[in-house]
Amino acid sequence: MTHVACASGVELLMDFIEGVLPSDVSAALEAHVAGCARCTAFVASYQATPRILRDATAATLPADIEASLKAFLRARTDTFK
Amino acid sequence: MVVPGVEPSDELLAARAAAGDSSAFETIVQRYQARVFRLACRLTSDTDAPDVLQDTFLQVYRHLPSFRGESQFGTWLYRIATNAALMHRRASTRRPAESLEAYLPQFDADGTHSATPAELQVASRADELLDRQTLADRARDVIARLPDTYRDAFVLRDLEDMPTARVAQVLGIEPAAVRQRVHRARLMLRGYLSDLVGVKP
Repeated sequence: MTHVACASGVELLMDFIEGVLPSDVSAALEAHVAGCARCTAFVASYQATPRILRDATAATLPADIEASLKAFLRARTDTFK
Repeated sequence: MVVPGVEPSDELLAARAAAGDSSAFETIVQRYQARVFRLACRLTSDTDAPDVLQDTFLQVYRHLPSFRGESQFGTWLYRIATNAALMHRRASTRRPAESLEAYLPQFDADGTHSATPAELQVASRADELLDRQTLADRARDVIARLPDTYRDAFVLRDLEDMPTARVAQVLGIEPAAVRQRVHRARLMLRGYLSDLVGVKP
């Protein structure tokens, strides 16, 4: 039986989420997290981090930058004539 | 043959553009420009992103004849964009990035999390606890502070939401290396979000 503590469990999280851990290690991690309020809270915040930063950095293309791109390509290629 | 009403595939457009069809290239630009711009903002800065966008499509135009379809067209284009961003990062004078190691989780001697469950949870609510503009500004700054290799992997995997196997193809590294880099980035960024809302990681 693989022993998992909080510290060693944290190091397995990415591989666990991506499904690449051996099944016994994966089961040991799940068992630890299920019984550990700290790890349950940690996992929630670990999984929320990408979403929060994705939403916070979702830039849209401004019309003037799109127009500059077309002008740039028109001047250097045979496109956007 | 292009069937009316059906969007031609990237690969078909690439082949037509490589053969000199300018409208096919223009369609590729229309299809990808917003995504490349968003990626460029995440990999460089709002200031450098317009140049990265232009460089990317000029490179795509020039290299289309050598696109052989060994990878998906989108993967190939993202590789060009990622390299263009890297060139701009190297060219811009940046102050040395302050390490994010301090935001890694802390453990007691027996390997237990030092923080309480409530403290560990709080990063999940950073988007509720901070105003939108503050979070956007801080997110941009902290992503720029990641070590380069972590930044590329994290941006592609987690911000562009690309599968790990494709990120590995774009960066030319093993999937295990992608996972390791993304994991380290997530740990630091998670701790940073905690710190932003006033809680030690």
